[in-house]
Amino acid sequence: MQILSTLAFVFITITSMVNLILREWRINAVALALQYLAAFILVTLSWPVGMAVIKLIVGWMASAAIALTSLRQSQKDPTTDSVASLLFRGLVGLLVIMIIFILAPRLQESIFPNLDLVIVQGGLMLMGMSLMQLGTRADPYLNIISLLSLLTGFEIIHAALERSTLLTGMLAVVNLGLALAGVYFISQSSAAEGSEEKAP
Amino acid sequence: MTLSTPILWVALPLIIAAVTLIFPNRMLFGIILTSASALGLALLAAFFPEDPTFLLGSLVITVEESLAILGRSITLTYSILPFISFIYAITGLWTLISGIPGTPKLFRPISLAITALLTAALGVEPFLYAAVLIHIAVLASIPLLSPEGKKPRPGILRYLILQTLALPLILLAGWLLSGVEALPSDSPLVVQSAIILGLGFGLWLGIFPFHSWLPMVSQHAHPVVFSHLMFLIPSTIFVFSLNFFDRYTFLRTLQNLEATLSLFGALMIFLGGIWTATQNNLKRAFGYTILTETGFTLLALSLFSQGGLNWMLLLFPGRALGFWLWGYTISLIEKHNGSLEIEAVQGFAWRYPILSSGLLLAQLTIAGLPLLALFPIKLPILTAAFRNGTTLGIWVFIGNLGLFLFTFRLLAAFIKPNNALKPETFSISEKTHEYLPILIMILVLVILGLFPNLIEKLTGTLTTFPQLQ
Repeated sequence: MQILSTLAFVFITITSMVNLILREWRINAVALALQYLAAFILVTLSWPVGMAVIKLIVGWMASAAIALTSLRQSQKDPTTDSVASLLFRGLVGLLVIMIIFILAPRLQESIFPNLDLVIVQGGLMLMGMSLMQLGTRADPYLNIISLLSLLTGFEIIHAALERSTLLTGMLAVVNLGLALAGVYFISQSSAAEGSEEKAP
Repeated sequence: MTLSTPILWVALPLIIAAVTLIFPNRMLFGIILTSASALGLALLAAFFPEDPTFLLGSLVITVEESLAILGRSITLTYSILPFISFIYAITGLWTLISGIPGTPKLFRPISLAITALLTAALGVEPFLYAAVLIHIAVLASIPLLSPEGKKPRPGILRYLILQTLALPLILLAGWLLSGVEALPSDSPLVVQSAIILGLGFGLWLGIFPFHSWLPMVSQHAHPVVFSHLMFLIPSTIFVFSLNFFDRYTFLRTLQNLEATLSLFGALMIFLGGIWTATQNNLKRAFGYTILTETGFTLLALSLFSQGGLNWMLLLFPGRALGFWLWGYTISLIEKHNGSLEIEAVQGFAWRYPILSSGLLLAQLTIAGLPLLALFPIKLPILTAAFRNGTTLGIWVFIGNLGLFLFTFRLLAAFIKPNNALKPETFSISEKTHEYLPILIMILVLVILGLFPNLIEKLTGTLTTFPQLQ
């Protein structure tokens, strides 16, 4: 289990870095889905598999909803980022990783003494990276992915603090609601772009 | 037969909202169903007996206060019913005017569903779960606030992001607070928990410096929708926040809490007022006015040891009616005039005097003009602010003055002769069904200004929080 949870943490770090650096909707959607798988493994450290699997299913449903909407709406080629901006975001990501590695043991010691370090690190990593993603992008699709990641990070930590079926259900509704908001935004963007193109 | 209050005020409106949602194009059906349900539920809550057992022929109906769901419960006690009655009444008022062109079709069902969710948030046990219910309500508001067929604006994204950031903070603060209860009050964890909680509420309520989305969303959302949601959600959040003060003694006695709350309140009133006074777009100005109003609620909350909680609750009815009138008139002005820039409404009062007066009176009500609904409540708050510190009082006074200044700018623009539009005498171009609600609402605002004790029943909500009385 120790190896599995460490692997999950590594996965979380890689996928959140990918989502921070790259802006190609297919890659982002796959990274988000993989992120949910890694989060599921970390949640099983605190919850029974039967309950933790809810987070995985909901996460995959949310990823599928926004990815499928993007697939339907996407007509244009993805915009290519300059090397400088990729490098900048990569460096920012590395900075976040460094901060989390410094901060997590202290936070675990002072606030979450009963939690595994890997849970604190995994949750904080997702939250930190998502905050950074939110700060560097204005696209609705990417913003929703960041918000979903942020909530996943929080849920990893919160699952270890409280186990409640009602709360799990309500958080599932929040995740799906966020995904639906994303679907709405993506459809609106495409509809607006479509009408702009039609206009003379 | 046993019913429960959550079935009546949470499940039933959600079912009605779902039914209305199935027929989004049947406007009249939607308006009648949602308004009648909301106003009916408001009346039921207002006159609900303390010992609810009803006889229907041979059938005995008992209404319990609690409903168990997945191991937890929603409890709507008799003492919270005045506030529930109030939020359903204002939802009913807003759905009545949802037939104005441009109002999103989904407004009627979603506003009823949001009211039901917020009602559930007021009664869910453990009370912290309310944070999730409030966030679901926020998510439901997204399709209403982002105009259909238009690209999502940065404001709505910012709104969603900041509201979502608040959720983990509130849940985490709740968990921390339950842990620090046993610690001595000088423990650093107490202050850390209070800061996390404050950040969460700051994000939720759009408190400075997390307010930037307010004017951005206000400018592009439909005024009826925006005025309703920006009244309903923050007001419920303020009432929900009382749970924290009620349950955690150390939070009530936290050093500098009153000073911090009043500082942020005064700052928001000051900045909101100044920004409102300098706006050229009427909808953006309203976004900043909301900032001022949140500031007043914060200020009232900070005066809890001097009866500020009563003022906080009494601010709600006058504000709701002011917002309603603003939403109604501005929607019609937009319909008739197109642009809502202050230069574009020059001479508008010559053609539409009642609409113009309605908007001016809405602004003046919110600003707290004597004889109107908010004056009897804002005056003691302002007096208490001056009593607590002259500087604080001056900040609040200047901020509030900003609201008056904007109204006078608007008045000047409305009556400035506009040669392009010609008429040199006043003519009433509004139709009866357009101006009648305005006249009725103005009358209600004046009555509430003259007889503020008519809304005193709302303060009964405070009995839900025994430690705060």
